[in-house]
Amino acid sequence: MSSQMTDDRVQTEKGAGFQLQTPNSALRTITIAVAGNPNSGKSTLINAIAGTRLQVGNWPGVTVEKKEAMFEYEGTRIKLVDLPGVYSLSPYTQEEIITRDYLVHERPDVIIDVVDATNLERNLYLTVQLLELELPVVMALNIFDEAEKKGHKIDTKAMEETLGVKVVPTTATRKNGLHDLLKAVVNIVDSPSSPYPKKLNYGEDIESATRTVGKQIQSAYPSLAEKYPLRWLSFKLMEQDEHVQRELLISGDLQIEDAVQHLKKAHEEDVESIMADARYAQAAGLTREVLKRPELRKMEITEKIDRLALNRFLGIPLFLAAMWFVFKLTFDVSKPLADWMNAATTGPFKRWAEALVGLVHAPAWMSSLVTDGVIAGVGSVLVFVPVIFAMMFFITFLEGSGYMARAAFVMDRAMHAIGLHGKSFIPMLLGFGCNVPAIYATRTLENPRDKALTALLVPLMSCGARLPVYVVFIGAFFPSHAGMVLWSLYVMGIALAIVMGLIFKRTLFRGEAPMFIMELPPYRMPSFKSLMIHTWEKGKHFLIKAGTYILAVSILVWFLLNLPWGVENKKDSYLGQVGQAAAPMLKPLGFGNWEAASSLMAGVIAKEIVVGTMGEIYVKKSEEGKKEQQPAFTDDLKELGTSFASAVRDSTKNVLSTVAITSLSAEQDEKRAGLKTALQGVFTPLTAYAFITFVLLYMPCVVVAIAMRQEFGTWKWFGIAFAYQTALAWLAAFVIYQGGRLLGIGG
Amino acid sequence: MGFSDIIWMGLIIVGALYLLYRSVWKKKGHCAGCSSSSCDMGKKSNAKGC
Repeated sequence: MSSQMTDDRVQTEKGAGFQLQTPNSALRTITIAVAGNPNSGKSTLINAIAGTRLQVGNWPGVTVEKKEAMFEYEGTRIKLVDLPGVYSLSPYTQEEIITRDYLVHERPDVIIDVVDATNLERNLYLTVQLLELELPVVMALNIFDEAEKKGHKIDTKAMEETLGVKVVPTTATRKNGLHDLLKAVVNIVDSPSSPYPKKLNYGEDIESATRTVGKQIQSAYPSLAEKYPLRWLSFKLMEQDEHVQRELLISGDLQIEDAVQHLKKAHEEDVESIMADARYAQAAGLTREVLKRPELRKMEITEKIDRLALNRFLGIPLFLAAMWFVFKLTFDVSKPLADWMNAATTGPFKRWAEALVGLVHAPAWMSSLVTDGVIAGVGSVLVFVPVIFAMMFFITFLEGSGYMARAAFVMDRAMHAIGLHGKSFIPMLLGFGCNVPAIYATRTLENPRDKALTALLVPLMSCGARLPVYVVFIGAFFPSHAGMVLWSLYVMGIALAIVMGLIFKRTLFRGEAPMFIMELPPYRMPSFKSLMIHTWEKGKHFLIKAGTYILAVSILVWFLLNLPWGVENKKDSYLGQVGQAAAPMLKPLGFGNWEAASSLMAGVIAKEIVVGTMGEIYVKKSEEGKKEQQPAFTDDLKELGTSFASAVRDSTKNVLSTVAITSLSAEQDEKRAGLKTALQGVFTPLTAYAFITFVLLYMPCVVVAIAMRQEFGTWKWFGIAFAYQTALAWLAAFVIYQGGRLLGIGG
Repeated sequence: MGFSDIIWMGLIIVGALYLLYRSVWKKKGHCAGCSSSSCDMGKKSNAKGC
């Protein structure tokens, strides 16, 4: 697999940090592989050492592929290879295969084993396996400050003696211990007499069987015995590791059966379990030897919270409550700002654009293109930027705090029902931001079956792009239950993902889900800076989209609404005609009008465009005949400033009080009679809910389609997603509308 | 509507279509939503850059 983070910049130390420099090819190069458990801080360590910006999160599985960074240290060129986080070197997950293959085949000069000092025993299980590879190892005892805070005392000297490796306490987040770590690495390479890792004794049964198998390998495959560590190779053959057997072309003629059978009989278990027990025993024994914990350990805050958050019965309701609170807060915080954006877009910004077009004496159609096309289309979407950023901020907070990992954990049981496990829920949670990175995140999953099934379900997670559609409809029809209605849509997406998963499990993807082992990081209060950076990272592409394809589609939609040239009624335009042709299919859903059909078709490019297109179709209609006196430019500026200050004040008030937002929005709504009023004339609350449900579920946007094609190398999965989602959207909207009518809710 | 209007309209439509092609198709499914730290659009894309 090709590395993705190869950075040919060379860096030198300068005080606590590092400075960029041109590469010096005359220097010798040493290769260091950085291995460790997920969430042990490998990426943070590399970032601290080499200054690269690898993605870091309080969230296991951040590093999926190996990434590389180059820098210079005391006259030596160092190539750092960041391997994916793994708990073991068994070839069950993609990460384990990448890590093991790299270490075994590439044979780096040194391995830096990043060990989470607060979770010693579990991390040492991997260490024990790294030692089997007979490569020089330096242990970075990371997150050492937290271990000390907890009162853990780790005897690093004893650890060094037992394992035969250099142990260096580090705190990567504070850049502590990094110089010592690098010095230890360079020393090991420089001095041939440096201690090599000790061969840990796994007990006489295993050791004797290993010797027998080793002799067999030496006589039957002498070249392999030279190329690979014999002891490790013997273990793998005894464990009947198919990956190794296949890759090294070792046939079944090796006479190891007696040794393996003897071991099995002695322990009444398969060899893989026997080996795992032996390694755990080493890790546990070493931990007992070197770690001293305070006698009376108080229950930590993480454990206290987890008692509730991971409770069998309370876990899922708490997750749903947390999501509801996020949506409520999102609305409360963003509503005044979104109202301000709307007033600014439809008022001063539009007037200024008209004035600018008038200044250059542009023809009337171009003026209409700018105001009724670009401003109405892009502006309708931009209005919801505060909502999107607020939502991303709260989701980032939940991720950074460590709660999202718990959400994946509590969803594990539900996910098992559909043949997946909790780990698949992580890409789904990412899908709440944007489905595209969520599709790419499916590569963290072990096997192609899980990947494909998860990717098929990801588009049911309501991404931020759908938010503008919900908000405009909720604002028009359900202002007093905004948070609850929005919450219902997200929950509906998750529930339907589970239902579809069940169906797929019985049809396309038969089989059981593998075991789920997931790191639950301690709860941490994310720093404000990190929250802002990640919120920006998540939200910025909505701004970029507004300036690129939403702009492009707004222009094209304007033309489609005005061609053939001189068309009097938009209904007779090209877009209107296509909408009219498609509308009968939507009639049983309660919104069989050409406007809705056209908007849904345009929304295939990106879901926000549904609102943009509606903006273009409806707003002008509702504003026709309005001729107001134009305020002066300075008056506009003054009004913008005062209304913005008032919006910020209202947002803050809403956060503090979390009371209903209706009183505030009612006042604003009188001013903005645009899209919402037009929608109120066409939709009812029932058809509006059916419509937003359709938007939630209907086919993934074009960018998701391309991402699926790229990730799986075929259009097949997108084809399936397209077909089932469109059918599901139609069915769900049908049930809501017709069911509502039957119940007398009205339509 | 004059000839120049038609030319202008044609140019705007072609420009919009190109913008759409560039931002949606040419980036091969990458979006700015991917973390900038691991999404390298500058490199020859093989869908692994994100």
